[in-house]
Amino acid sequence: MKFEAEVISWLPQLRRYARALTGDSAWADDLVQDTAERALARWAAFRPNSNLRAWLLTILRHLYIDQLRARREITVDEESAPWRNLEAPAGVVDGLVLRDLQRALYCLPLEQREVLLLVCVEELTYQEASVALSVPVGTVMSRLSRAREHMRVLLTEGPTRKSAPLKVVRNP
Amino acid sequence: MSHDDHDPAVPKPPDLQALSAFVDDELPDEAHAAVLEHLVQDPNAAARVADWRAQKSALKALCGAPVADEPSFIVVRAPVPWWRRAGLAACWLVAGAGLALVLGPLASRLPGGLLDHDPVGFAKRADIAYAVYTPEQRHPVEVAASEEKHLVSWLSKRLNRPLSIPSLQEYGYSLVGGRLLPGEAGPAAQFMYENPDGARLTLYVTDIPDNETAFRLFRDGNRRTFYWVSDHMGYALSGPISEGKLREIAIDVCGDLGGKPESWQ
Repeated sequence: MKFEAEVISWLPQLRRYARALTGDSAWADDLVQDTAERALARWAAFRPNSNLRAWLLTILRHLYIDQLRARREITVDEESAPWRNLEAPAGVVDGLVLRDLQRALYCLPLEQREVLLLVCVEELTYQEASVALSVPVGTVMSRLSRAREHMRVLLTEGPTRKSAPLKVVRNP
Repeated sequence: MSHDDHDPAVPKPPDLQALSAFVDDELPDEAHAAVLEHLVQDPNAAARVADWRAQKSALKALCGAPVADEPSFIVVRAPVPWWRRAGLAACWLVAGAGLALVLGPLASRLPGGLLDHDPVGFAKRADIAYAVYTPEQRHPVEVAASEEKHLVSWLSKRLNRPLSIPSLQEYGYSLVGGRLLPGEAGPAAQFMYENPDGARLTLYVTDIPDNETAFRLFRDGNRRTFYWVSDHMGYALSGPISEGKLREIAIDVCGDLGGKPESWQ
């Protein structure tokens, strides 16, 4: 496949990841556009036969972190937090549970959120996640287990929650 | 999987990382089997694994399928070929030179005229620092000239590079001392000098990200500040004396501090 076509074929996945990471679909779309543009401009830097998706995710991550720094002045409070404006998740599973899950996800520090999304949603192997995040596999594993435990605590002991912990969820 | 030293028959319970890798099917077969076995007799670990699995599928449900509803295209700006960029740059250069030819003679007659650059931030700060601290009679400086060695090592440490204090003795100004000030991007140092009549000059030193070498004048009221940048350090010499005199001292100071005053003479 041509390089351009291959980049384009990953756009839907990148978009999903960017939306989950930022919690803001407009921002996510810009991020994906910037990522693809940069990837196409720098195709020469890509080593053939290495993992294109991990490479794209690395570019996206760097852009996101840059933009995050630039936007830092904009404080995000609970009321205007991005996940508040997201559509309520579809009714495949208990919407309330997903709401809480969403809230917990954006309470995680960025480095826990990204590894959780890459492994659980994007289904990257630890090896691929280590490339995308530019950290050793051991770091991926420790961050991931901390992220999971953090989420678990947020979901079971969250102050806004009265009902039982996450149980009702089925695989879609 | 490792075993406890004292009882090799009892396997160590899997830690959180191992449980997490178990959920993702990232463990080697043997370790995977061992965790599975352990879960049977450890309800806490089993509950944790169940929660994490639920988390994983809930995250998938939350994030949904890849977002393919958007058109799959991206805007790519065509790179401008080098010859066009070079041509454009050359045009601007010619235009700029022409403009300078036309306006140059005018500008020298118009103080603060069109081609005068805005004083950079640090020169303004130096000027304000002058205005604030030189009227002080009792506390003009934080560290007095009597402790010059300490003054130099302290401010060098804070500005993170070796500083030296030029002597203005031949112009009749002796060092009063110095102080640390907040600069635009970090710390700044102010050195104060005084002549026998009580007139004061200050030399302001701060880190500057850009590195241009132009030598400029900034005026505010009866105060004048000559400022320049050398090796990523901004220097500003301020005082209420005549422009010619201040310029002469500034050129000397610049040379003393390793700058190249020849370039703007």
